[in-house]
Amino acid sequence: MKRNEVPNCLLCNAPLNEQMTWKYLLTNAFPRTICSECEQKFEPYHTTQNQEVTSLYKYNDAMRDFLHRYKFMHDTLLAKVFRDKIHEHLAKSKAIITPIPMHPIKLKERTFAHVDQLLKEANIPYQHFLEKTTTETQVGKSRQQRLATEQFFKLKASPENIKNKDFLLIDDIYTTGITINHAKNVLLEAGAKSVKAFTLIRG
Amino acid sequence: MQYKLHNHNHNHNQTYKGLIIEPKIRDFFIGRIWIRTNAPFPQEKIETYIKYNYFKRILGISSKRGFFKKHYTCNRCYNENQSEFIHYECARCNQLCTYCRHCINMGRVTSCTDLLIWNGAKPKFPTYHILDWDGTFTEAQAQASQQLTDSIQQNHNHLIHAVCGAGKTEILFPAVLAALQQGKRVCLATPRTDVVLELFPRFQKVFPNTILHAYYGNAPQQQGLPQLIIATTHQLYRFENAFDVVIVDEADAFPYTFDKALQKAVFKVKKQSAPLALVTATPSPQILAKVKREKWGYSFIPKRYHGHPLPVPTFESLWSYNKMIAKGKIPSKLIQWTKMRIAQKEPFLIFFPTIQLMGIATPLFQQLHEDILSVHAEDVDRKEKVTKLRNEEIPGLLTTTILERGITIKNVQVAVVGAESKIFTSSALIQISGRVGRNVNYPAGEIVFYHHGITTEMDEARNEILRLNKEGFGK
Repeated sequence: MKRNEVPNCLLCNAPLNEQMTWKYLLTNAFPRTICSECEQKFEPYHTTQNQEVTSLYKYNDAMRDFLHRYKFMHDTLLAKVFRDKIHEHLAKSKAIITPIPMHPIKLKERTFAHVDQLLKEANIPYQHFLEKTTTETQVGKSRQQRLATEQFFKLKASPENIKNKDFLLIDDIYTTGITINHAKNVLLEAGAKSVKAFTLIRG
Repeated sequence: MQYKLHNHNHNHNQTYKGLIIEPKIRDFFIGRIWIRTNAPFPQEKIETYIKYNYFKRILGISSKRGFFKKHYTCNRCYNENQSEFIHYECARCNQLCTYCRHCINMGRVTSCTDLLIWNGAKPKFPTYHILDWDGTFTEAQAQASQQLTDSIQQNHNHLIHAVCGAGKTEILFPAVLAALQQGKRVCLATPRTDVVLELFPRFQKVFPNTILHAYYGNAPQQQGLPQLIIATTHQLYRFENAFDVVIVDEADAFPYTFDKALQKAVFKVKKQSAPLALVTATPSPQILAKVKREKWGYSFIPKRYHGHPLPVPTFESLWSYNKMIAKGKIPSKLIQWTKMRIAQKEPFLIFFPTIQLMGIATPLFQQLHEDILSVHAEDVDRKEKVTKLRNEEIPGLLTTTILERGITIKNVQVAVVGAESKIFTSSALIQISGRVGRNVNYPAGEIVFYHHGITTEMDEARNEILRLNKEGFGK
């Protein structure tokens, strides 16, 4: 990991003035990418126990801005912003980490898979088992419409790789849960032992 | 038969005569440099136009081999700051792709982005423009205006150095009119959105026969082929080789002075021999040196249009104002000053060095009068709040340096809290002082620098104002 890789806050461009500490010298912690003021604007989301979906942050104004710049303005670099938190949560996971896939046409448009990129920057290995069958998105639909959408995932890998295994689905945001549920059902039908989910944001 | 077929193919390689160009598309693209996939027209049409050579296509990012590593340049904003180029695995071109973070707010430009430049015929601009303005010039204004017009006619660069409230905007009218009447395309750029919003209606009113557009972040889409463009300097990234005259108003304002790419943008949007005119109240030493070295035209107006001297700032100590405000108390001197303004029904502006300090102070001021509001750069209601102050709907406004220039409010009184802060440079303080006494009926007014220790910047600002008054009045 390069030190001083990011000299200015990725969100507000204020100089970071990273101090050299023993922690930086001796561990391979991720260097900071945003300033403390920007960091404070994000509200952590506290997952209660027994919840199947873990999330890191609430969806607030700062998060809406971040998501807009990352996903829609295509500022790929912003995948680094939450890498330390994502790493902390996923590094010790025993389940197989599976990001929610994008449709190939959508992928060409965006030029990067935003969920995969988050994991890449956090040094978390992942595997794809699903593929998306429609280019339709959940954006702009009402809750009713979202809940009524039919299954839009299908299995990509052979079922032997899935039988009796534990999975952790990763997505950027959890709103109605329809995406996670559809993906989960596909994996369970193929014989997965358990399927949990992790999202960066809880809408 | 074979001959005929050959002939047919030949025609296709040239521009295709059968394609009728939509004026809407042509007008949009003339003078612009635009990301292909961001065009507000159907992609199939763009495709056809490209096929028939109506567009020149260039790559988004170009790179040359440097000594140690590749050196990248963004072909839209001309940014060359290597730390703003980001490399990533691109799923469109399936290789390591580079994008420019400098101009990303206008849609991302990557190595595999096509930038479009209009390559078809360009219509001539009309010459029947009129200037509907019945104001009169002072002697100094008339002279500066004539000098500017002459410089532009001779394709000479020009600097107008005029004090705040000298009537700079009006000076531009005759020069702009002369250029328009020759069928030239004119761009008036300024670093601040607020200034664009203030200038646009004024120009719209005095040039009733001219198609003019205003461009700033999130501006609405406007129809027609504009001959006069009023834009923020950032928007210039989206133009190339487009204008016969470029005028930069408030040429010393942030971020123009700090951003090399913005300065390059001004040169790339004008045609090669086109003249550039800078207008400012506080030219930087660099600009003055350049004017001297390159023998630009130069006009200097030390007097305001109404002939009254500039209000001179007074210094008032406000020790540890930071701690006081943090404790939830406004220093008593400031309370006195504010109460006085409210009692005398004079609109006021109070400048703060940081948004944080202003944030804490706002509710405290609202205890004095509940209608006092605050504005800062990210405030969406900025326009409305300034209008409210102008219409005397609210007694006063707390602000950051965002309102330091370009706004005119009748009989406004100004206080600067923490004038010793780094952000208040001498030019910022001169600009802030320049908000006061702009109206003929209220040529005097109060400008107070509340400080925690006097800085050289504050002294410089005061001395410069005194010097200008001396030059203007020979006292």
